[in-house]
Amino acid sequence: MASNNQQEQGEITKTELWKMIFRSLFLQSSFNYERMQAGGWLYSLMPALKKVHKKKDELSAAMKRHLEFFNTHPFLITPVLGIIAAMEEKKEDPQMIRSIKVALMGPLGGIGDALLWMTLLPITAGIGVSLAKQGNASGPIVFFLLFNAVHLVLRVGGMFYGYYTGVQALKKLKAGAKAISRAASILGVTVIGGLIASYISLSLKLNINVEGNKINVQKEVLDKILPNMLPLAYTLLLYYLIKKGYSPLKLVGITVCIGVIGKYIGLL
Amino acid sequence: MLQEAFLIALWAGITGIDQFNILLHIHRPIITGPVVGLILGDFQTGLAAGATLELVWMGMAPLAGAQPPNVVIGGIVGTVFAILSGQDPKTAVSVAVPFAVAAQGAITLLFTAYSPLMHKADEYAKEARHKATDMLNLSGMVALFVFNFVVAFLPVYFGADAAKAMVDVIPATLLDGLSVAGGMMPALGFAMLLSIMLKKEYVAFLLVGFVVVTYFDLTLVGTAIIGAAIALYDYYSNNSNGNNQTPKKEAKTNGI
Repeated sequence: MASNNQQEQGEITKTELWKMIFRSLFLQSSFNYERMQAGGWLYSLMPALKKVHKKKDELSAAMKRHLEFFNTHPFLITPVLGIIAAMEEKKEDPQMIRSIKVALMGPLGGIGDALLWMTLLPITAGIGVSLAKQGNASGPIVFFLLFNAVHLVLRVGGMFYGYYTGVQALKKLKAGAKAISRAASILGVTVIGGLIASYISLSLKLNINVEGNKINVQKEVLDKILPNMLPLAYTLLLYYLIKKGYSPLKLVGITVCIGVIGKYIGLL
Repeated sequence: MLQEAFLIALWAGITGIDQFNILLHIHRPIITGPVVGLILGDFQTGLAAGATLELVWMGMAPLAGAQPPNVVIGGIVGTVFAILSGQDPKTAVSVAVPFAVAAQGAITLLFTAYSPLMHKADEYAKEARHKATDMLNLSGMVALFVFNFVVAFLPVYFGADAAKAMVDVIPATLLDGLSVAGGMMPALGFAMLLSIMLKKEYVAFLLVGFVVVTYFDLTLVGTAIIGAAIALYDYYSNNSNGNNQTPKKEAKTNGI
């Protein structure tokens, strides 16, 4: 099933795919609020990146772009890894790789929450609980086996499915890379718009008195103008400051200060 | 008791890692209950307590990064008190709640503290130091282990009241403030992405994505479908107009 019969030395084989499956278990090791699973994503993708980018400056550029914000369901990570690995192997346009990554992570995160956290977990745990309630020691074991059978099939199968699908799809994409990259960017940017509205929580706790009536500024004023106004405004403010040349590290500090002080004075 | 407390804390540390990594779900009360039962020499009570606590936490799931009360500490410390005090597990869980909250606070702290470390990773990436970024990623598990070990050890060894006094030392406003900052922090991740991806002609689509979620409560799947619809339309109308620009030379090295 070799994907590419070229003489190129940097070719992804099953070894890399298995390494990525194993590494994907540590997707959330350096989970953080700023970029969520970015550190674990880079860690998981590393076997493929090392294989296809032999030059140091290429590898460095790839590592930088895969340290950008990433968050998806931790079980459905492997199909994304597979597709992105196939794109890196083909040395696709970085902007396109970035867009595809963003376009996949949001929906898969939502699907995974619904399918796995809200469905698989309650069902398998429910079976285990009903056995354990009767004093049957097999309860926890049945839960463990059922749950992980689905977990591991998804994780392993998703990797191979994602990679081979990616390779096939890229072969078919013969049209101008520019047009595809543009289409992918449109998709990616649309999803980011949705992510801003759903992932950031920022709201005012402030109440003001108007003629003796307590008015909640968030509910009665801001939400009437534009719900999620503050998450959007804060993202745009940070975007502006980054463009102005502020270091992201400084912006982390500013965000922590706003959060702690805002909470302390009862504003947030 | 020191030996039992140590073993339980060790189990809490390991399952604390499992809550976010590897994810075999050995951290669920249905499994931690009987394991704690074995350590304390009362398997049946542990099994029953684990089953009850599993039901308490069922349906509380980590959705989109928001964390519910800590299931690891809730399950383990709840089972310990159910066995040691002979209480109903549901009563025992209320004793365990302050520790579950403390553990969650510690994890919020960890998730905030790891934001600056990402910039360290950026520096390593500049020199392509992949072993360093690997280690940086894995190091987070050490902190998870330590947090869960300590928060489980205190109440088991010192008793609930004495341990609660220790946990209460952590100022609640600071933890709450960090949690507010944590909720705002993804904005920075998105801003950084946008600083690379956003061009003037894409602003419209950012607004579309924002509006469909804000006003129509559309899921991200639905948002992605709308995005894909616009992208497909754009792609094919560009193609049929024949104004499809030729790809830049440096974009392709292995011509398709």
